[in-house]
Amino acid sequence: MIRTNRRKLALTSAVLAVAAMTASSLPAQAASDPGVTSTSIKLGITVPMTGIASPGYNKIPGAMKAYFDYVNANGGVNGRKITLVVKDDQYIPTTAVAKANELILKDKVFALVGTLGTASTKAISASTQLAKRGIPSLFVNTGFSGFADSKAYPTTFSILPSYQMEAKIMGKFLKDKYADKKLALIYQDDDFGRDALAGFKQAGITFTTAIPYASGSQSLPATGAGWISKLKAAGTEVTVLFGVSSASTAALANAYAAGYKTQWVLGSVGGDATTIAATNKAYVPLLYGAKGFSFAPAPSDSADEYIKLFQSIYASAQPTQTFDNNVVAGMSNAFLAVQALQATGSNLTRAGLIKTIETKGATFANPFLTPLGYSATSHVGATGYWIGTYDPTGALKPDGGKYTVYTTDSGNGPVVESSYKRPAMPAKGLPN
Amino acid sequence: MLKKHPLVGFALFGVVLFLLSNRVDELRVFQGATVAIYVIAIASIILLTGYSGQVSLGHGALLAIGGYAAALARIHWGAPVWLTFCIAVLAAALGGYLLGLAAARLSGPYLAGTTLALAIGLPSIANQFPLFGGEQGLLYDIGMPPASLGEDFTQYKWYFWISSLAALISIYWLRNVMNSRYGRNWKAVRGNDVAAELAGINVGRNKVLAFTVSAGLAGLAGALLAMTISTVSPGAFPLALSFSLATGAVLSGVTTLGGVMIGAVTLVAIPEIVDTVVHRFETSENIANNLPGLLVSTLLILTVLFVPNGPVEQMRARHEKRAKR
Amino acid sequence: MIQFFNMLLIGIGAGSIYALMAIAMVLVWRSTRVINFAQAGMALLSTYIGFELVQKTGNFWIALPLAMVLGALFSALVEILLIRTLIKHSTSGPVAGIVPIIATLGLLGLIRACIGMIWGNQDIQIQPPLSKVGFKIGEETIALSPMNLLVLLAVLGMVVILGFIFQKTSLGLSLRASAYSPEIAQLAGIRVGAIRTIGWAIAGAAGAAAGLLQTVNGTGAVSPDSLEFSLLLTFGFIAAVIGGLESLPGAVLGAVVLGLVLAVVQIYISGTLVFIVAFALLLLVLLVRPQGFIGVKAGRRA
Repeated sequence: MIRTNRRKLALTSAVLAVAAMTASSLPAQAASDPGVTSTSIKLGITVPMTGIASPGYNKIPGAMKAYFDYVNANGGVNGRKITLVVKDDQYIPTTAVAKANELILKDKVFALVGTLGTASTKAISASTQLAKRGIPSLFVNTGFSGFADSKAYPTTFSILPSYQMEAKIMGKFLKDKYADKKLALIYQDDDFGRDALAGFKQAGITFTTAIPYASGSQSLPATGAGWISKLKAAGTEVTVLFGVSSASTAALANAYAAGYKTQWVLGSVGGDATTIAATNKAYVPLLYGAKGFSFAPAPSDSADEYIKLFQSIYASAQPTQTFDNNVVAGMSNAFLAVQALQATGSNLTRAGLIKTIETKGATFANPFLTPLGYSATSHVGATGYWIGTYDPTGALKPDGGKYTVYTTDSGNGPVVESSYKRPAMPAKGLPN
Repeated sequence: MLKKHPLVGFALFGVVLFLLSNRVDELRVFQGATVAIYVIAIASIILLTGYSGQVSLGHGALLAIGGYAAALARIHWGAPVWLTFCIAVLAAALGGYLLGLAAARLSGPYLAGTTLALAIGLPSIANQFPLFGGEQGLLYDIGMPPASLGEDFTQYKWYFWISSLAALISIYWLRNVMNSRYGRNWKAVRGNDVAAELAGINVGRNKVLAFTVSAGLAGLAGALLAMTISTVSPGAFPLALSFSLATGAVLSGVTTLGGVMIGAVTLVAIPEIVDTVVHRFETSENIANNLPGLLVSTLLILTVLFVPNGPVEQMRARHEKRAKR
Repeated sequence: MIQFFNMLLIGIGAGSIYALMAIAMVLVWRSTRVINFAQAGMALLSTYIGFELVQKTGNFWIALPLAMVLGALFSALVEILLIRTLIKHSTSGPVAGIVPIIATLGLLGLIRACIGMIWGNQDIQIQPPLSKVGFKIGEETIALSPMNLLVLLAVLGMVVILGFIFQKTSLGLSLRASAYSPEIAQLAGIRVGAIRTIGWAIAGAAGAAAGLLQTVNGTGAVSPDSLEFSLLLTFGFIAAVIGGLESLPGAVLGAVVLGLVLAVVQIYISGTLVFIVAFALLLLVLLVRPQGFIGVKAGRRA
């Protein structure tokens, strides 16, 4: 009996030893980074798929996948197919860090893409030591201007314009158009809203009434009604909404209920008509005549070549979902990622990818109507906004009939009208 | 022998952890640090609820106090890391003391509800004063591991060592406290506060003391948590954290310190296991997104229904039953 | 002057929403002495059921009572399957305090996940049955709309009906007795288990009404992770405590007080203090008058 067991043990050990030696003598991936093989690229994203912040944002991974699948079906990126690993972080920084660690250490992704939320992005960057490991964090979904600082975040790239940029451009617009009117502002009482205040101050705007609200309180029963009551009492004529879309819906709906008329000016975060429509279709007509800001073509603008392509790709990939700004954001993000990977070439390394974006990023084809600002010293993405007016169907139509884009920086630079002409979309929407 | 000299047991366990940390990969080391932190946090709830009979649903707020105190001490005073931990403990203990004073007159749902409201209200305060860095949070960097440990000594291993050491010291100390006069007083109050009062125990004072000690431990856990994500922000201490900790305490067995590792490991392991299981199957997006939540909740309900006292107590009871035969 | 008047209306309007939830919580507490965190979850599920009913029948006035009935049934089911097993298996002491809370929290998570799997995580919409545009007095539109009136009437109706049941019927007596002292009630011949189930059923119906009305009174949108419902749970609880957990009129009073205080803070002071003030108010009431405005001080149990 013992002899048989000993023999079994010996045999097993021998087999294991041989296997181990064989495995370790297999030709290692020739000095390549994790997540890349000759036929595939693995990317990872942490985003709220469930939880408080998830409605709307949880469409982004599906949109990105739709575009990646389209590219894969058309030959991939230099022959490599892209897979996107999605992790739900529920908008909690500790969960985001844990999930990012899984992506980096377990799933061994090549790069992170589209990380959502300022606090989560900050935590991931610091805790997982992205900079030290040289892991690219592409096109983060946040308006925090700090991520554009290439010294502080050498491997992170912004994509959205910062909140300060938006506030400055909005400020110039208000000064030009409504200099003699009584202005009111409803803003979220955190860094998001305070960035805006700083931007407005820089533009030299003073508000007759500035109403801050605690983040979350916009969903309480009386809050919106309270705002309108205050605005009515102050008799303001132009109201700027720089909050999230649930705050915009609260303001619009209560204004309607109270018979309060004003010229609404909506910031891009809370002004998304499609998010408002997803909350309640009945609110969309309330947007009619409101001013809105955006930097991508409007999702309703089917005449735009990018929108047309994205609409058809998304319709076949996700037929039950509506095509809205979240989808445009996701697909644009994916488009830029593919463009960056493509431009890096067949010898795909993390360092190479970062260098490519820094040197060639500003000239990448992309759906945005503002120029990209990528360089070795700045990792800033889109740098400006165009201004439009909402029609009764909730479509944002550019003022003056064409997209007039204003650009600026997150610092003290002026707001200028840009002469940027968006380059034509590459054939079939596949970056080359 | 271990029963007589628990310090030896703890020291041995520490050595085992040290050896393990050299063998396992980075992700497990990071998760190990998280487990150690949860051990401290869950122990603090076991003390408060299991021993002193006061239910807190807002322990996340106490962790937040500790985390913010440590970060602020580091940023504004450049305090060395060990000092920031001490400051975290003291700040949270102070918060616990004040909360305890308010809570001493409350019981049952009133106490639970008050702590719940605190957990919801506290993040607002962080947004009110720019000192707290607002939504984006503050950076809390404890620096690199000392050079004497070698080139290859990673950051996460350093976090694991610090957290594990803190957990070992905390649990050892707590165990001694629970076996002392204070622990016995708390148990007496928990059993029947009227009788305890009649026996000469100052109920109010003991309740406040329990809150203070529990809060101090929670503050330590909060500072360690901030260390592992290198930041503090209101979002890092959501209501979900308070609920997770209470859940972990119930899974461990809320009346005894013995099972505290079970709860801590479960909190860290279950989300990952569930994630892996879900990814095996090709399902619609709705199902894939919500299946983890479903599985975790079901597991929780079943555990609570069938093992309400925790596995350690359950085994002890079964052991006693068998011994009686 | 007009702003002050509007402020009162806004405060009372908000209070009536909190009251809906507070009533449901007080009901569960009075019938079973359990704080049910799944209350918001069950209200949420009932709201989704209401949504389906509105889609099928196109009529809110049919959907509402049906949703209440289904909410009651579901609530009774939860009591039978979950709560009874819980009470059977758990011991006394601190475990008995915290375990039901954790169990109902688990149930909340379960309900949210199931809703997400069936209906998805995006918002669904229910259009209000009445107009939300305020009534006009002369040229001024005041902060009171037909929808606000409906909510107020619903609250009053619930208080009257439920108060009648609890105070004037033998069912109500059994409910109160079973909650206060199950053993003695059993000795008196009351079937405590069945009574408790009925108590939860009533609370489930009230919760369904609370969920549906608060949704259509708000944005009309609801999702499994809806912030509105989480806030509703907390503020409903605060309102119930302010009024005293033992009394239904107290819950309404507490809710109105909460609504008015918050309205004053938001309109005259600063909207950023809302959560801090709510917490401070809760703490104040608990320190100064823990039994709430209407509650009676609990006697010393020997």
